[in-house]
Amino acid sequence: MQQTDYELLLLMLSGDEEAFTMLYRRRQGPVYRFALQMTGNIVIAEDVTQEVFMALISKTAKYDPARGTLASFLYGIARNMVLRRLEKTAEIEDYAGPEDILDDLTRRETIEGVRRAVLSLPPVYREAIVLCDLQDTSYEDAALVLDCPIGTVRSRLNRGRSMLAQKLAVRV
Amino acid sequence: MNELLKALADHDRQREAPETVELRLRSAFRRKYAHPKWPYFAVAASVVIALLVYSPQKPQTMEIAVVTPPVPVLAVNKTAPRKTVLHSSRPTEVVTEFYSLMEDAPPFEQGELLRVSLPAAAMRGVGLPVDEDRLADMVQADVLVGQEGLARAIRFVNTNVNRP
Repeated sequence: MQQTDYELLLLMLSGDEEAFTMLYRRRQGPVYRFALQMTGNIVIAEDVTQEVFMALISKTAKYDPARGTLASFLYGIARNMVLRRLEKTAEIEDYAGPEDILDDLTRRETIEGVRRAVLSLPPVYREAIVLCDLQDTSYEDAALVLDCPIGTVRSRLNRGRSMLAQKLAVRV
Repeated sequence: MNELLKALADHDRQREAPETVELRLRSAFRRKYAHPKWPYFAVAASVVIALLVYSPQKPQTMEIAVVTPPVPVLAVNKTAPRKTVLHSSRPTEVVTEFYSLMEDAPPFEQGELLRVSLPAAAMRGVGLPVDEDRLADMVQADVLVGQEGLARAIRFVNTNVNRP
């Protein structure tokens, strides 16, 4: 019988290191990828992942199961940390122009070209694309993470995709 | 464009934080929980469990914790540090869900998980079936003790799973 995230969290808060390790291994990947896709920087992604779980250990972040899944809660902490980093460190954002991106594509560097295009989006659209299109998060969970109505998630997603299409010169 | 985004998602799907992050976090976790501050919790938990065993039909309330147990206190062993073998494909124990021992418990902040031995009759106290001839058999259980020293929940453990 696999324990739920919440059961593991309760055990972890009781001092059970094995429960913490299981919870960490189950949830660190999405948190790390979210931070990486939002910043394009592996050092920041690593730092954010560590800080998210440190917040759980030190109990500075308190999870309420009535307000959503633990996965959404962790995304929410990661999002706040990422946005703070983006505000403080403007240089980590690599706003590539459309010509650069097309150049990448012609060199068959498709993946990195798409990554650069995503990173070039303003954060408010980027986080919707990262959560819903790259992390497969439901609109409902994304709304919890982004602290906005589902309709707003949809509109940001549409706008973000439209901007991406322009940058990638792909008709949608 | 959906295909391009999917290609990026697929490309990143296996990317994870480096192992050093886990090591640092586990080290921080051990520092945080290195010195349990509630040795009396074991006694409180024993009292609750003893009453759970001998008064299975009574509701479990806060008052139970302050009543002197009618029998010698059950032996309680704090869970020894366990070696973590997370990748083992063969589980060494199976646990039930947690059964609440408190009504209207205050928010859980921190506490301890205690591994205890107790008669199988205690399982009836939470509604689990036990054969009459096995009531006196000893079984293992984990008791979750909250920050206030009261037992909040219990789960039963089968430690004889898939023994080679």
